[in-house]
Amino acid sequence: MASGELKLSGWEVGEVRRLPGMDVKKIGRDLYEIFIGPQHPGSGHMRIIVRLDGDVMVEVDPDLGYVHRTMEKLAEGRSYIKVIPLMERMAILDACNITLPYVEAVEKLLDLEPPERAKYLRVLLCEINRIASHLYGMGIFGVFLGHSTMYMWPFGDREVFVELAERLTGARLTHTYAVPGGVRRDVPDGFTDDLRKAIRYMRKRLEDYRKIFLDNPVIRARLEDVGVIPRNLAIELGIVGPNLRASGVEYDVRLIEPYEVYDELDFEIPVFEEGDALARTWVRVEEIRQSLRILEQVADKLDKMPREGVMHDKFWAKAPKLYKDVYAREGRVKLMPLFATLRVPKGKAFARAEAGRGEIVYYVESEGGMTPYRVRVVSPSFRNAIVFKYIAPGHRLMDLPAIYGSIDYFPPEADR
Amino acid sequence: MPAVPSRRRVPSYGFLSAIKGNLEALTVGLKYFLNPNRSTLHYPREYIKLRPGYRGYIVLNKAKCIMCESCARICPAAAMKMVRFQAPDPKRPGKMKLYKYPVINYQRCIFCGLCVDVCPTEALRHVPAHDVVYMNLAEMELGLEAFQQEPRSPAEEEGGIPVRYIFDPEKGLVKVRVSEGGGEQ
Repeated sequence: MASGELKLSGWEVGEVRRLPGMDVKKIGRDLYEIFIGPQHPGSGHMRIIVRLDGDVMVEVDPDLGYVHRTMEKLAEGRSYIKVIPLMERMAILDACNITLPYVEAVEKLLDLEPPERAKYLRVLLCEINRIASHLYGMGIFGVFLGHSTMYMWPFGDREVFVELAERLTGARLTHTYAVPGGVRRDVPDGFTDDLRKAIRYMRKRLEDYRKIFLDNPVIRARLEDVGVIPRNLAIELGIVGPNLRASGVEYDVRLIEPYEVYDELDFEIPVFEEGDALARTWVRVEEIRQSLRILEQVADKLDKMPREGVMHDKFWAKAPKLYKDVYAREGRVKLMPLFATLRVPKGKAFARAEAGRGEIVYYVESEGGMTPYRVRVVSPSFRNAIVFKYIAPGHRLMDLPAIYGSIDYFPPEADR
Repeated sequence: MPAVPSRRRVPSYGFLSAIKGNLEALTVGLKYFLNPNRSTLHYPREYIKLRPGYRGYIVLNKAKCIMCESCARICPAAAMKMVRFQAPDPKRPGKMKLYKYPVINYQRCIFCGLCVDVCPTEALRHVPAHDVVYMNLAEMELGLEAFQQEPRSPAEEEGGIPVRYIFDPEKGLVKVRVSEGGGEQ
């Protein structure tokens, strides 16, 4: 059946041939069935089953579930704080955004509100993560299109934001930063100055990106009018995040239901009308610009605020002197031992946030014990995966990378 | 002031902008060809001198440990376990006492640092090293003695050059050498 080499003639109907990165089955005269994946066709394990008539895709099926880790079930057997590092594994490069609604839901059940400074610090890391996540997506997109410069540049520039996150939290990825009641660290000395330098640098780089990628005629030709998601279809399919906003829908959790301190910050939600792959790329670039604007405001605000109170009094008022000394010396918030055995009152809570790839929703149900009764997650990539089925048919096969890259689909986040 | 939506369109593009776009892409490519923005780390010839506060390997200070088990209880990956043993009690001569101390399994550790933060006496601490090499999996399960020793970075042991990345508004990240005292040059 499968032959190692590619023969150009004598391809029988029903025969499977192995091409680089995909298996191709001939299902009729000029009709082929292609299995792309499941070994890392993009950034993570998934399979796309494509049926081709000549070079035109007639049917596209996203086949998900290759990185399913039963996270929701695992969460039922873990104490509340241990769920945070678990859920981070959905999108390690977007760790703060992806776990924030869980923390907010637990806070709702505990009926506590984090202090003001902790909220600013959460927004700080969320926006650093958003920029890093968009740059990662753009890098993958670049290499999908064969534009290897656009692979190297965003990945190199992402390092700037990963380094910022490392200074703030002590870890490059999987920060486990937001915990019920506040955050785990305050900003180190000189952090806001470094942040301002990074902002200045990134603004300059976005101009370079425009020149080498967005306004590059080769890229324009490959992306313009490719994979158009009309406004009504986008709403009907229930897609979220930058992909939805590229189709002209003004929907962003930061806009419709501001959480943390987003209602005190001055920024825009870029919405594009076209709905094609190019518009989706533009949305991400403009969002990076707005995130930089948010970071600037947060940096100013943090400089003005007194350097204290990043943990709720419930967990801090009775803290011994050693805890306060460590905070004063290193900015590190030591956790009271009761965090390990945190009991959450009986109840149900729901929270959502805007992660890099779109809206993430958590539903947490507690029966009053040390472990949650149920943690339900709806992740943005899961809601965006359906796009493949409805958007790709009708395009040529070589438009599939452009569509895949432009929707920034991330399998580990979708499969959970 | 809350967020406001801003509706936009992708900039329009004609024949002239295609020419301009080509020239701009080539110019910016040439600019970085002549003046590249490199930040490659030549590991292990160079290694990153991690900053204090980095969540690296964890070391136990047995003298400070009060055997409260908080670290083992909070560990999300079940990497930290308590070892229990009977030993003579120094306060009550002739009597035995149950001692329990944490040990760590680096096959499981995810470096979340929750154990260090939850330790009520600061008996656990992070060391700024993250590139320790183990020859087999069994070595990664540290016993009580090994857990008290500070792991060393092999690149540092072999005389690598300590470097650090600092932020720069023009270049993003710039690699600088770290001098003996820990200052940046």
